[in-house]
Amino acid sequence: MAVKVLVGTKKGLFVLSGDAERRSWEVEGPLLTGFSVYHAIRDPRDGALYAATNFFGGGTVHRSTDNGATWERAEELGLPEDGELKLNATWHVEPGSNGELWLGGDPGVLFRSDDKGVTWQVNEPLLNHETRDQWNPGAGGMCLHSINVDADDPNKLVIGISAAGVFRTDDGGQTWEPANKGTSADFLPDNQPEVGQCVHKVLVHPLNRDRIWQQNHCGVYRSDDRGTTWERLDGNGLPSDFGFALMLDPRDQDAAFTIPEESAMNRVASGGRLGVWRTRDGGASWDVLTNGLPQQAWVGVLREASAWDGLEPNGLYFGTQSGSVLASPDGGETWHEAARWLPPVLSVETAEWP
Amino acid sequence: MAVVRLPALLAQEAGGQREFDVDAQTLRDALRSLPVRDLCLDEHGELRRLVNVFVDGQDVRGADELDTPLRADSKVLVVAAIAGG
Repeated sequence: MAVKVLVGTKKGLFVLSGDAERRSWEVEGPLLTGFSVYHAIRDPRDGALYAATNFFGGGTVHRSTDNGATWERAEELGLPEDGELKLNATWHVEPGSNGELWLGGDPGVLFRSDDKGVTWQVNEPLLNHETRDQWNPGAGGMCLHSINVDADDPNKLVIGISAAGVFRTDDGGQTWEPANKGTSADFLPDNQPEVGQCVHKVLVHPLNRDRIWQQNHCGVYRSDDRGTTWERLDGNGLPSDFGFALMLDPRDQDAAFTIPEESAMNRVASGGRLGVWRTRDGGASWDVLTNGLPQQAWVGVLREASAWDGLEPNGLYFGTQSGSVLASPDGGETWHEAARWLPPVLSVETAEWP
Repeated sequence: MAVVRLPALLAQEAGGQREFDVDAQTLRDALRSLPVRDLCLDEHGELRRLVNVFVDGQDVRGADELDTPLRADSKVLVVAAIAGG
């Protein structure tokens, strides 16, 4: 088995294949030429690849059962004909824990597929959520970009929408509860609203599903009660409260990795010094990892463009808008450039296949 | 039969077929008959914002749009809008 890095770009999908040490990479692609690949993922249950693809013909989902050699498009993906909203873009595909698939899209919508991505049904309770009139799109649209499915209970999900916030369900999506208490929305008159927060990425830790990490437009947060309350962490040594990337260590719930950017007004590495900031104490303190990263790089990393492989040691990966993919096979201690001169990187995921 | 010609990417999504003979009275019916109807028309049945259509050389947008009548020998050209980077 080899580690693969699925790199979704503005101009197609690239697949990076690593050697045994995860230090040398072969680049295949572009696949899905002509499409912007907002996110691509491999379903570990059957090996199928899914890509959230967008182009002049709208947003759709492509599926491949031959590792990307051929692709099939979902049928008639869209919002209800009799509604006011239209599907603006597809953002994130997530395999569920009971055979189902989930798809997040713009305008803050969630779909479910029970036939391996051929057809998708919109989640009506979220589409018609009572707080929707308080949601607003961010620069990337009103994207539903984070989908966390409980590995033991497929009815439990935690999702993130920009700029609506974090929502959770315990009943498979029949009801959605906002989970934003204590997170800031400094761009609103009331900066602690029930909803309207611009969450950039939200990740539930696989070891402890009550522990959730969040990189927000306004801060980095940790929750220990599945989003009921949040503790703000960026004041504990991070150079900025702003950023998109967020990575975890599946064997250490106290560890998290962010790539702070200067500010909402200047979305590049803080001070032009690209670094991955790590905490190993739940966010009480942070240290910066730069070994192998460029001394100066005015680059940005988008919300879907970071991932980890979960191997021992944990491999970390992120892609830049300038078309580089950076990899660390040792939990962030050392970094190298796995690919360069790709189109702007929109998303990074990892997978394994021969 | 009118003929609908697709741009390369839509033809790829239509199984590689670039031209379709359609028996349709209007542009709407013609596009609805295509295997890529969902990529030409949105869920409200409207022409997608970045899809332009010319019927016999005339841009339908701002004119009769999807109600544009087709003749038996009409040429329908579907093109991607000049957009994006």
